[in-house]
Amino acid sequence: MENVPAFSATEESGRKKFALPVDSEHKATEFRLFSVAAPHMRAFHLSWISFFACFVSTFAAPPLLPIIRDDLDLTATEIGNAGIAAVSGAVFARVAMGSACDLFGPRLASAALTLLTAPAVYCSSIASGPSTFLIVRFFTGFSLATFVSTQFWMSSLFSAPVVGTANGVAGGWGNLGGGATQLIMPLGFELILKMGSDKFTAWRIAFFIPGLFQMLCAYGIFFLGQDLPDGNYAQLHKSGDKHKDKFSKVLYHAVTNYRGWILALTYGYCFGVELAIDNIIAQYFYDRFNVSLHTAGIIAASFGLANFFSRPGGGMLSDIVARRYGMRGRLWALWSVQTLGGIFCIILGKVGTLGVSVAVMLIFSVFVQAACGLTFGVVPFVSRRSLGIISGMTGAGGNVGAVITQVIFFRGSRYTTEKGIMLMGVMIIACTSVITLIHFPQWGGMFTKPSKGITEEDYYLSEWTEAEKEKGFHKASLKFSENSRHEGGRRVGITESPDTHK
Amino acid sequence: MAIRAFLIVLSCLAAATCRGATFSSLQQTLIVTASPQPAQVLKAGEDEITVTWSLNSTFPAGVDSSYKTVTIKLCYAPISQKYRGWRKTVDNLVKDKTCQHKIVANKPYISSSSNNTFTSTVLRDVPTATYFIRAYAQNSEGDEVAYGQTTDSHKAVNLFEIQAITGRHVSLDIASICFSAFSILSLFGFFFLEKRKSKASESK
Repeated sequence: MENVPAFSATEESGRKKFALPVDSEHKATEFRLFSVAAPHMRAFHLSWISFFACFVSTFAAPPLLPIIRDDLDLTATEIGNAGIAAVSGAVFARVAMGSACDLFGPRLASAALTLLTAPAVYCSSIASGPSTFLIVRFFTGFSLATFVSTQFWMSSLFSAPVVGTANGVAGGWGNLGGGATQLIMPLGFELILKMGSDKFTAWRIAFFIPGLFQMLCAYGIFFLGQDLPDGNYAQLHKSGDKHKDKFSKVLYHAVTNYRGWILALTYGYCFGVELAIDNIIAQYFYDRFNVSLHTAGIIAASFGLANFFSRPGGGMLSDIVARRYGMRGRLWALWSVQTLGGIFCIILGKVGTLGVSVAVMLIFSVFVQAACGLTFGVVPFVSRRSLGIISGMTGAGGNVGAVITQVIFFRGSRYTTEKGIMLMGVMIIACTSVITLIHFPQWGGMFTKPSKGITEEDYYLSEWTEAEKEKGFHKASLKFSENSRHEGGRRVGITESPDTHK
Repeated sequence: MAIRAFLIVLSCLAAATCRGATFSSLQQTLIVTASPQPAQVLKAGEDEITVTWSLNSTFPAGVDSSYKTVTIKLCYAPISQKYRGWRKTVDNLVKDKTCQHKIVANKPYISSSSNNTFTSTVLRDVPTATYFIRAYAQNSEGDEVAYGQTTDSHKAVNLFEIQAITGRHVSLDIASICFSAFSILSLFGFFFLEKRKSKASESK
């Protein structure tokens, strides 16, 4: 006894209704970068651009610090604390965002967060001392939780064969903001200065650039985006097409899945490391090799700009190895790339000449960012019911890693920065080794074979009780199980291709 | 762009190794006095500083034969350098960050005059800190060859403060608050629109 929903497409007209080929859940099975067709590719472009804007806002202060630290009379410790605050806010915001996506949908969740954090960016203009500076950086950092809505949205719109690529490109091009801001903010500052402002006023006006950018992105998402191929959450809830889940159940199935916790830890040692480097690398090159602040900024920007291809590359690599080796291939690729990142990090801490250091830093950035992309090739498969919170936990783990790493290695004068970088590399290798413990009963793990007789349905439907199954709440998980069958590797998947004509 | 950055890096390295003048190699042959009284607080952009410099006559004649120009700078006192590594005092003058604000730049050095004076308003980009004033005498290549300062060798006496402009304006404050309020109101607008849309689809 179901209402006939006004907004869903019937299966037979599925092919005609969407610009891209889709599977039985109407998720796109192809990723076409230069298309803006609704709903899939349009959502992709909206989400990576707004995530980019949030990164620009969160790291808008570092390139202007030489001016800000004089205006607000900051000490080195106060600057360090503000940097830690900028990445620690998102720890809880990311988990909260995960729940919000599960309950309200990524479109409303990300538009809401982007609008709620825009005031923090605007109010950076009226910061008057170290404490107000720390507060605005803390609240601006909450906007990094839009990462979770980006990954959730891509995982809801793109099918298993391309989900790693979609997540990787969206995440990578968003992360670009951390590099682009090192160029955008100084440029904006210079232009405002030329128009006749004082230095101590020009940096304040410059913060309106990321603030306005964020606001525009929120408007774009709200009016042009769509949660799912078949419509928005609110409409689908009312029409009965999508069951409105209970928060307590979603949370329970997320925290009891050990794989979510392992990925949260390892993400802290690829993405967390990336955030820590974003905060300290310009100063490192400025102090150790005595380059000018301008040059240090360019070097710092190039670290973040490598995200243009390295994180998407990680996502694509995940999808490519999955075609042949399934989930086991994804796990092996993730472990090897991230461990290599750790090795290059150790080397970075050891080299003493400028040219070699920049080269090693670039190689290190490629591996560490590709590992981020590879992580989110695995995350969509950990849970179907609690996808949002698992994405949120993993994302939050990234920020926790950033906080821990900066507090242990890059605060105060216990370690020189180069020793801190080397030790960080050792910690990356150690923490990455827990990936070996991940085991999917239906597909296996790095060193374990799939458990006999367990299918994808057994794994994903175990998240629903019999009572819930009777009411038909589990239908989306059922479709997802079918579509993820080829994660078992080449010998299993190809013959059972996604069915669009049932 | 990568090539340009690389060339900038190369030239900076070259510059650092070519000019190796150190502060400890300079002779303190100049006497410098300035208008700010000890512990006086000057306002950036408003108050003026008058600096007077002359050659210390106790030095033998001819010591200033190589002096061609004089540059006078505002320098941070140790208390304003504490916890701020970007203002560190380093012996190598190219890397030294003690004196970052120029009052007089490359004024010709006139040895016969015993009272060189210059008055200027404190610039608006000078930060709040405690300062002293130092004059460098430069040769024809622009390298420092001698100096004089208003404080002693420990940089402990005769220090004054400068209060910076705040950089904030009422119009900026209002703009920030208005835009922030607009963001929050937009959010409520979104929720309202969303509720209306979903009610409409339910009644269809």
